[in-house]
Amino acid sequence: MRIVVGIKWVPNTQAVRFDPKTGTLIRAGVPSIVNPHDFPAIELALRLRDNYGGEVIAISMAPPGAIQGLEHVLGMGADKAVLLTDRKFAGADTLATSYVLAKGIEKISREIGPVDLAIFGHETIDSSTAHIGAQVASWLGWPYVYYVRDAKLVGDGVIRALRQTEKAVEEYDIKLPAVLATAIKALKPRPVRLSYKLRAKLEKPIIIWTNDDLGLDPRCTGLKGSPTIVANITWMPEVPRKKIVYKPKDPRDAARWILRQLFTDEAVAPFLRKALWGEE
Amino acid sequence: MSNSNVPSKFDVVVVGAGPAGSSAAYLLAKAGFKVLIVERGRGAGTKELYGGKIYAPPLREVWPNLDKEAPIHRWVTTERLSFVWKGRVTTLDFKLGRRVAFTTYLTEMAKWMADKAVEAGAVLVDEVRVDEIITEGGKVIGIRSGPDKLYADIVVDAEGVNRILLEKLGLAEKINPDTVALGVKEVINVGKKAIEERLLLTENEGMAWLLMGDITQGIPGGGFIYTMKDTIALGLVLHIGKAYEAAKSGALKDTVPMMLEKLRVHPYFSRIWRDADVLEYGAHMTIEGGLRYMPKKLYMNGLVVVGDAAGLLLNTGYTIRGVDFAVYSGKLAAEAIIKAFENGGPTEENLSLYEHMLKQSFVYKELVKHSGIVKMMEDPTFFTKLPAIVNGMMGKLFEADYEEPTVLEALLESFREEEMSLTRFLLKMFSVVSRL
Amino acid sequence: MSGEVKGLRPIKIEDLLQRTVYDVDEEPHIEIIDERGVPKELVKLCPCSCYSMVGERLLYSYEGCLECGLCRVLSEPWGLRWEYPKSGRGVQYRFT
Ligand SMILES: Cc1cc2nc3c(=O)[nH]c(=O)nc-3n(C[C@H](O)[C@H](O)[C@H](O)COP(=O)(O)OP(=O)(O)OC[C@H]3O[C@@H](n4cnc5c(N)ncnc54)[C@H](O)[C@@H]3O)c2cc1C
Ligand code: SF4
Repeated sequence: MRIVVGIKWVPNTQAVRFDPKTGTLIRAGVPSIVNPHDFPAIELALRLRDNYGGEVIAISMAPPGAIQGLEHVLGMGADKAVLLTDRKFAGADTLATSYVLAKGIEKISREIGPVDLAIFGHETIDSSTAHIGAQVASWLGWPYVYYVRDAKLVGDGVIRALRQTEKAVEEYDIKLPAVLATAIKALKPRPVRLSYKLRAKLEKPIIIWTNDDLGLDPRCTGLKGSPTIVANITWMPEVPRKKIVYKPKDPRDAARWILRQLFTDEAVAPFLRKALWGEE
Repeated sequence: MSNSNVPSKFDVVVVGAGPAGSSAAYLLAKAGFKVLIVERGRGAGTKELYGGKIYAPPLREVWPNLDKEAPIHRWVTTERLSFVWKGRVTTLDFKLGRRVAFTTYLTEMAKWMADKAVEAGAVLVDEVRVDEIITEGGKVIGIRSGPDKLYADIVVDAEGVNRILLEKLGLAEKINPDTVALGVKEVINVGKKAIEERLLLTENEGMAWLLMGDITQGIPGGGFIYTMKDTIALGLVLHIGKAYEAAKSGALKDTVPMMLEKLRVHPYFSRIWRDADVLEYGAHMTIEGGLRYMPKKLYMNGLVVVGDAAGLLLNTGYTIRGVDFAVYSGKLAAEAIIKAFENGGPTEENLSLYEHMLKQSFVYKELVKHSGIVKMMEDPTFFTKLPAIVNGMMGKLFEADYEEPTVLEALLESFREEEMSLTRFLLKMFSVVSRL
Repeated sequence: MSGEVKGLRPIKIEDLLQRTVYDVDEEPHIEIIDERGVPKELVKLCPCSCYSMVGERLLYSYEGCLECGLCRVLSEPWGLRWEYPKSGRGVQYRFT
């Protein structure tokens, strides 16, 4: 099975601080990381390959700095990586991004070998749209399942994807080629390994394609290919929070104490009563 | 998965891309060895934290173009030493006659050194933690990380102060808390112009400023201030054994991060960074007494130990010299390894040259010369009485309302206040100094 | 004292750690195995205040760990499982 897994190289948002004086985000000196929600996708791809053979190819549309992130994924055991990088891709919204990714996947199918499955993470920590998997599936015309927690092959060319919703576990049997998007924290990622990372450094299995290689109409990529308009951003005002530390010897005292606090709080108590007993 | 062309053996495997590991790797790769560096951090330097000042001459022996190529922030032109006591501060200010040390971030510097090694042909594998140095029949044959083993003719252990691998190997004992110190540090975003104006520096000029006194709340150690290009490094170094005792007896009022924060808002010092934000906070351990920290052996069949892991750090209380010592030990190790291969291989006998060269070098001589300082650093007389007495005397001299005492009167008076006799103090200082 | 800088207050440790970059691993790299082998003094001494007392119990959370090694030095080998994080995760120093 040839599996492509999508990677986004994102600023580590934990380190992005909000400057209350200027109302802007302080991004200077913030290192980038592989989008944390992509790890279940990577792990699923690697497990499927380990079980059924084939190869995993990581793909990313990003500036060249993303090579560090692709090496991380190769260090976890991916076989190859493809970096789609071009100034013409800059400033892309999800539509333009998914277009370039879909075209990259088609090129992989033509030149490296047919792709059976593409897996994406649930969403990214820096934009939280959760569009990419669905959009890539639309461009490719492949079936799509999201919130996937696990998957296995059943029969010839059919994959069964486990999907968990609030109330039920659903199983979908879909014909390959297909696109999956994993749920947040669905699978615990494996660590980087010495032998794989060493291979990544020595064999450099990262293929770099620019728009000269992809040959896409520049009106469909980057800022030009992005119809999304961010009209306005309103920052949530900082809510001053009250903090009380209560350290009883007996945890049962702590539980009682918390309940008492909640039920005597004018703002919270009505909600609690309503939720618990339907009291208006 | 195709593991086709990836070798499972290197001539040399270096554990840790710090100053010691990267200098050894650089010289060995330049000499034509197949060198692999394994580093646990995400790129070299991301796990590094130190004070701020590096002595250049030993580094120039490894990288002759250091001054031109390295990410040097400022050359140290002013050294200050302050005694701090209850709001009073006495400062010695020394303008250097020549440039011997520079300030920089070790995160940047370590990356530069590792890049140099890679340019010379070494392979750097980052994000990989080495779990074990593996032996066979009393000989080191390689390393293990998770399920992967990698073989080498020789392993260079440059893992730094937390020498977990050496402990596992049985070459070092569990760390004695009295031989190590904890450093905590903040990087404050003061801005280039403000640094230069407020500390009377011109462009590229830097300051190294050490602080002693009640800022460490009676724990042996001190504070430091280093000027970087546009930030200031502010930190505390605390003797771990004594800090533990102080915490246990209840003498320690604050948490360690709060001690540092109190120094940051100290009425005298904070005016330098009054309007600036803290960019980063971190901690790292360092060595208190070099020779006492040294492992049983610095080499064995197939292994040499360099840098902090080998206890090669000079901590005099007023200066920590670790980076240049680490780099120099890496250089000596590389030279010894090259010789050993010329003479038939990295056997224990051939590698004994490393220790021999080390003992001949300034590194070892300095460690021996300053070994008495370790005692002094553990002596509360030095850390609490001295700043108290100095500031007491200055207070008497300059805070007099009408009648000014003579210098001697002021000195004796402040000794009496600290319940110490001048002779006892002098004897004590003499006994310490004679050991230096 | 005169010349005091107004408005400067010590920053609480939680806020201080906001300024440091982490890529926290899902798996803890340090774990208390046996509380009796881990000194309570770490509540004061750990530079990120990772240790805290809740009632009589010493609790530990690894997310803010600065990987200094102090708690390993002060604990019994059977008290703590202490490892560096894998895969380059953990604290990511930039200007130190
Ligand atoms: C608070 C403080 C202030 C200091 N001030 C100064 C100063 O002003 N000037 C000065 O010259 N020195 C100073 N030092 C000392 C200096 O930082 C050290 O001596 C120097 O960094 C030692 O270099 P090293 O290469 O031996 O070890 P390190 O710099 O510690 O490098 C060790 C490397 O090995 C890696 N590593 C560790 N274990 C593993 C493993 N199992 N697998 C893979 N990789 C691993 C680490 O991530 C690290 O990159 C200070 C130290 C401290 C703590
Ligand atoms: S290693 Fe250091 S920072 Fe991490 S928990 Fe231990 S004492 Fe705290």
